[in-house]
Amino acid sequence: MRSISGTRRALRWVGNGLLVMMLVWTLVPFYWMVVTSVKKDKEIYGFEATLVPRQPTLANYTRLFAKTPFVLYLRNSAIIAISTTLLSLVFATLGAYALARLRFPGRALIARGLVFTYLVPPALLFIPLFAVMSVLRLVDTHQGLVLAYLSFAVPFSTWLLMGYFRSVPVELEEAALVDGCTRLGSLVRVILPMSLPALAVVAFFAFTQSWNEFLYANVFVNSVEVRTVTTGLTLFIVEDVFFWGPMMGASFLSALPPLVLYLVFQRWVVKGLTLGAVKG
Amino acid sequence: MAIPAPDTFADRPGVSPVRGALGRRRLPFAFRAESRLAYALLTPTLLVILFLVAYPFCTAIAMSLQNKMVGTPGRWVGLANYLELFRDDVFLRTAWNSVVYTAVAVGLKFVLGLTMALILDQERRFNNFFRTLLFVPWAVPVVIVALNWRWIFDDLSGFLNNFLITFHLTNNIISWLSDPGLAMACVIAVVVWAGTPLYSMTFLAGMQAIPRELYEAAEIDGASVVQQFVYVTVPRLRTIFLTTVMLSTIWTATNLQFVLVLTRGGPANRTEIFPHLAYTTALGARRLGMGAAVSLVFFPILAVLILLFTRRVLRPSDE
Repeated sequence: MRSISGTRRALRWVGNGLLVMMLVWTLVPFYWMVVTSVKKDKEIYGFEATLVPRQPTLANYTRLFAKTPFVLYLRNSAIIAISTTLLSLVFATLGAYALARLRFPGRALIARGLVFTYLVPPALLFIPLFAVMSVLRLVDTHQGLVLAYLSFAVPFSTWLLMGYFRSVPVELEEAALVDGCTRLGSLVRVILPMSLPALAVVAFFAFTQSWNEFLYANVFVNSVEVRTVTTGLTLFIVEDVFFWGPMMGASFLSALPPLVLYLVFQRWVVKGLTLGAVKG
Repeated sequence: MAIPAPDTFADRPGVSPVRGALGRRRLPFAFRAESRLAYALLTPTLLVILFLVAYPFCTAIAMSLQNKMVGTPGRWVGLANYLELFRDDVFLRTAWNSVVYTAVAVGLKFVLGLTMALILDQERRFNNFFRTLLFVPWAVPVVIVALNWRWIFDDLSGFLNNFLITFHLTNNIISWLSDPGLAMACVIAVVVWAGTPLYSMTFLAGMQAIPRELYEAAEIDGASVVQQFVYVTVPRLRTIFLTTVMLSTIWTATNLQFVLVLTRGGPANRTEIFPHLAYTTALGARRLGMGAAVSLVFFPILAVLILLFTRRVLRPSDE
């Protein structure tokens, strides 16, 4: 027994050591981002560059809000991400209910199609989607981006909700149906109230994926009025020169919404992520 | 209209009472109220799938067979785009890079993710807090991760050189992203930094679902810590390993944001991977047809992974 507890103690120390290394590896980039955003240019570049700021300043942030369209980009990102989230929640709830509870020909095929669709990479779709957007005259519009984002948000949300709706006991719904509730009535009155955690997870994923999206936003939008934060960051690159102070400030602020949501929804997020992987 | 054999669905819950035992005349399956309702509910989802994924996907195939440029109608050229690709040195270089990049990044993410999960599965005070911190990179937008690291790698003022020189670990400035020997390693490091949390999250969730009694029983039988890992942990995580690696391979191989921000494929195409090549071909050189061909060449490999994954997650009970 002595040898086993000896091994355990050794493992604990190895574990603690590795934990510290991983924390450093994970957190240093964040440190550098935040620290850069509160430095003066003098401390950012050249010989006097510092690892720890000597005279912290919020000048980069004031410049961001006063002299750049950053607020406009934040607004655009919010509009687009919230619209995508709401639309995909509605679409996914309806579709997932049908897939989880109703029997009809083609059901298995559609369930399979959802997973397949979700995994077709944007790197493959952006070229033809660009052509579609041009034909529909949706290039450079909020609606165009929302439409493009639905292509990944809807399949994923439907798939996730389908798994969750199935775990709601059928008996509860049958009771409601016997009492004269319609199918849609039982969806709204029985299933949805029991699925609030799942709806929150779906909303979280739809929102953060839309907020973080870059490729479509970069290809389908040019004008300043429609630009989102992820593509707006290129504002601080002028002819291959990067203005790192304001750029790191903007990066930090743009990463905050998904970060805060992650901290709030953490427990449920991991469940949602593993739903596909743990199943079976 | 296909009408499945009634027996297929006989023992399923939720079957409508319409086909009752009293021998009432059955309506064809597809026309029953339940089916009509199902199709109505699925209409928005199906429209999204058809018009935003299936149709563009088919258009991509059609485009890859044309010499279409931005703003001009294309002419059919058959397989000419693909043939040109396989004679092109840049493309062959890209193909090799893509394989190395994906394999190394996925491998490293797996090893680091497993280590991280094992560490977080140990008993420790404040473990929840450490877990939260270690998973944070997952929540940060990829473009921001890439920009941040580009700044860390900066030749003159970036954190890395700054740190190394301050502590006298090197006297020379290292050009991390423009050194042909280092650039790919740097890109992979960033991909691994951003992608490891997904692995540790799913692995940790799997580990915590393993009943502790199994380990206790193994320990009583005299199994060492390593044996417990090999014979108790690994078999129970096999499915999770498989699905995570499949998903991550698809996402790693097709993500062009890291390369786009960090190196733009350079120096001398050393970090060029196929999604980025498709991007520059379609939008930089404005050759939409060729760009579609580049992204489609690699699709068969991805399609196999997607099909395997789909089969994995949709057990027979789902169908």
